[in-house]
Amino acid sequence: MSAAIEVEGLVKNFGSTRALDGLGLRVEAGQVHGFLGPNGSGKSTTIRILLGLIRASGGSARLFGEDPWKNAVSLHRRLAYVPGDVNLWPNLTGGETIDMLGSLRGGLDPKRRKDLVERFELDLTKKASTYSKGNRQKVALVAALATDAELFIFDEPTSGLDPLKEEVFHECVREITGEGHTVLLSSHILGQVQDLATMFTIIRAGKTVETGTLEELRQIAASAGRDPESLSLEDLFLGIYSS
Amino acid sequence: MADFAGTVDAIRFALKRDRLILPICVAGLIGWMAIYVVSYNDLYGTQAELNALYKSVAGNPALVAMSGPTGGLRSLGGALSWDSTPTLSIIGGVFAMFSVIRHTRAEEEDGRTELLLTSGSGRLAPLAAAVTITSFALALASIGYVVALSIGGFEFGPSILLSLSLLGFGLVITGTTAIVAQVTGKARTARGLVGIVIGVAWLLRAIGDTGDGTLSWFSPLGWAQQTRPFWENRWWALLPPLAATGITFGLAFWQLARRDIGSGLIQPRPGPPAASPSLLHPLGFSLRLQRGTIIGWSSMLFLYGFAIGVMGNNIEDILKSSTAFTEAFASASGDLVDSYFASILTVIAIMAAGFTISSALRPHSEESRNRVAMLLAAPLGKVRWVAGHVLIAYVASAMVMALTGLGLGLGLGIATGDFGETGTLLGSGFAQVPAMWLTGSIAVLLFGISSRLSSLAWAILAAFVVIWTVASFGELPQWIVDLSPFSHVPAVPAVSLEVKPLLVMTLLAAAFTAAGLALWCRRDLL
Repeated sequence: MSAAIEVEGLVKNFGSTRALDGLGLRVEAGQVHGFLGPNGSGKSTTIRILLGLIRASGGSARLFGEDPWKNAVSLHRRLAYVPGDVNLWPNLTGGETIDMLGSLRGGLDPKRRKDLVERFELDLTKKASTYSKGNRQKVALVAALATDAELFIFDEPTSGLDPLKEEVFHECVREITGEGHTVLLSSHILGQVQDLATMFTIIRAGKTVETGTLEELRQIAASAGRDPESLSLEDLFLGIYSS
Repeated sequence: MADFAGTVDAIRFALKRDRLILPICVAGLIGWMAIYVVSYNDLYGTQAELNALYKSVAGNPALVAMSGPTGGLRSLGGALSWDSTPTLSIIGGVFAMFSVIRHTRAEEEDGRTELLLTSGSGRLAPLAAAVTITSFALALASIGYVVALSIGGFEFGPSILLSLSLLGFGLVITGTTAIVAQVTGKARTARGLVGIVIGVAWLLRAIGDTGDGTLSWFSPLGWAQQTRPFWENRWWALLPPLAATGITFGLAFWQLARRDIGSGLIQPRPGPPAASPSLLHPLGFSLRLQRGTIIGWSSMLFLYGFAIGVMGNNIEDILKSSTAFTEAFASASGDLVDSYFASILTVIAIMAAGFTISSALRPHSEESRNRVAMLLAAPLGKVRWVAGHVLIAYVASAMVMALTGLGLGLGLGIATGDFGETGTLLGSGFAQVPAMWLTGSIAVLLFGISSRLSSLAWAILAAFVVIWTVASFGELPQWIVDLSPFSHVPAVPAVSLEVKPLLVMTLLAAAFTAAGLALWCRRDLL
C-alpha cells in the first residue's frame, strides 16, 4: 500500500513557540486514521501544513508523495477539507456557499448534494449569518462530502452537530471509505473515532506519543499493567495523558 | 437601575479599546475646524472680499441647497459658520455613528455582548457606555472648536453657539444610531441606515432652505443651521436638538430594555437555495463580496460629482470674491473653474483611495475572519485568489473616478446647457486613478509582508490626506509634498495632460502589487 500522508520529524515554530516538535504521521491509502491529542497539541497545525496553508519549519510532510506547500493547487484537486470552526460569508445562503465551494473543484454531483442536504436536514435558503454553529458545520460537510476527493481531511468535523446528525456523518464516512477513499479524522469525540478509524495516532505537545491499531494500543497499555480487553480508546487516551 | 450595573466598567473598557482611535478622531475634528479658522482669516481678510462673497453667493439656489441660508455671509464668522456647519456636522455625525455601532450592535453581532451580560453586567450597560464615550468625544471636539475659533479671533459667544450647534447634530445622530442599533440585527445594515438618515437630513434642509424653509425644521442638520451664529445668534434654536437627543436616547434604552439580546426587529430574509452562475467562478465570487461597497461608492461619488458640477457654473464668482482664492486657483491656466475642478477631483480621489485600500485589502479582512482556509484548501491558487480581489479593486477604482468625472460633466452641462466639457472631465477623473492604484498597491505590499502590517496602509493614506491639506493651506518642504502620489497628478482639466507621472505611478503600482503577491505566496496563512 502507498501512503496518502507521510509526515516525519515535522517541526513548526511560531516565533519562539514550537508548535510541532518532530511529529510523525503515516496514513495509508484507503484508511480511516484517527488523529488524537489534547487542545493545543498541534493537530490543526499539522493539518494546515498538510493543506499547504502554512509552511513547515523542519522535517518533511508528504501528501500522495508530493510537497503540500509547493504543489498545493494540484494536490487540492484530490482532497476535501472540513475545519472545526467553519466561518462563512454572512450574505451568502448555505446553498450558494456549497455551490461556490463545489465550483472551485469543478462542480458537485447534484444528486449527491441533494441527498446529503436531505440527510443533514440543512435549510439551504438561510443566510450564513443566521446559521448556528452546527448548521455552519453542515454546510462545510455537505460541500466536502459531495465531492469525489481521494482524501478527506476532517478537523473536528462534527463540533456543534446534534447526535442524530453526528450519526449521519458516521454513515457518510463509512460510505466514502467503502468506496476506497482515505480519511484523516481529528476529533475529541473518542467514541466516534473508535467507531470509524482503524488506525490511530495520538500526539502530545507537538510529538507523536502512540500510533497503531486499537489492538496495538491496548497491548502497549497492557504492558504497563492494565487489562487490555476492557480498554476503550477513551481509557487509552486518558491513560496516556494521566501518566 | 440594576440594568445599568457595570456601566462604569464598560466605559473604562471602551475607552481602553479606543485609546488610539478616539483621540485621533477628536483631534481630526478640531483640526478641521482649525483649518476653517485659518483659511477664512486668510481668504477673506477684508470686508470688501466678504461683500463680494456675499454678493456672489446670496440667493444662489445651488449654494443654498449645498450649504444653507446665506444671510450671515456679511461677517467673517457668519461665512465660516455657513461653510463649516454642514461639513463638520456630517463628519461629527459619521464619527458618532461608527463609534456607537462599534460598541453596541457590532459587539452583539459577534456574540461578545452575550458574554458580558452573563458576567454580571446590566443589560443597558453596553449602550450606556457607547453613548457616554461618544457624547464625551463630541463634547471634547466642541470645546476644541471654541478654543480654535477664539484663538483665530472670532467672538467668544457666537463661537460657543456654533460649537453647540455642531454638538447638537452629533448628539442627535448618536441617539438615532443607538435606536437603529436596536432595530437592525447587523452592524453593516445599521451603519447603512444611519447613513441614509444623515443623507435625508441633508436633503430635507436642502429643499427647505431653497423653498420657504419649513422642511428645514424637520431636519437635524437644518437645526444646526437655525442657530445662525455671528448673525442672528438664536440660542433658542438649540432646543430642538436638545429635545431630540433626549427623546432618541430614551427610546433607544426603552427598546433595549424590552428586546431579546442578539435579535433585531429586521431579520435577514431567506435567499436562493443554489448559486447563480456568476458565483461559480472565483472572480465572480470575489466580485459578489465586494459588490455592495462598489455600488455604494460609485453612486455616492457620482452624485457628489454631479452636485459639484451643478454648482460649477456659479463657483467662478465665489472664487473671484477672494483674492487669495484667485491666486490659489489661477496657477497655470487662466480658468478658475477648471483649477477648482482639478483640486476637487484630487480631494475625491484621496477619499476614494480609501475605497481602493479597503477593496484591495479584502483578502486581509477575509484572512482575519478565518474564512480563507476552506477556499485555499480547494484547488484555488493563493495568488489567483488575492490577485482577483486586487484586480477588482483597481478596475472599480477607475470606474468610480470615471463616474465622478462624468457626474461633474453632466452636472455642469445641466447647469450651463453645454455638455462640451463632459468628455474632458471624465478623462480628468481617470487621471487620478494611477495615484489611487499606487496607494492600493502599497496596501497589497504590506498585506504580502504580513497580515498584521496591512492596516498600516490606512495610516499611509492618512499621511497623504495631511500632506494634501497642509500643502493647500501652508508651506511644506517639497520633498514631503512629493511623498504623496496625489502631488504628482497633473491638475487636469486646468493644465494639459502630462502622461509621464501617470505612467511612472502605474508602473510603480504594478511593481508593488507583484512584490506583494510574491511575498504573500511565501508567507503562512494567519
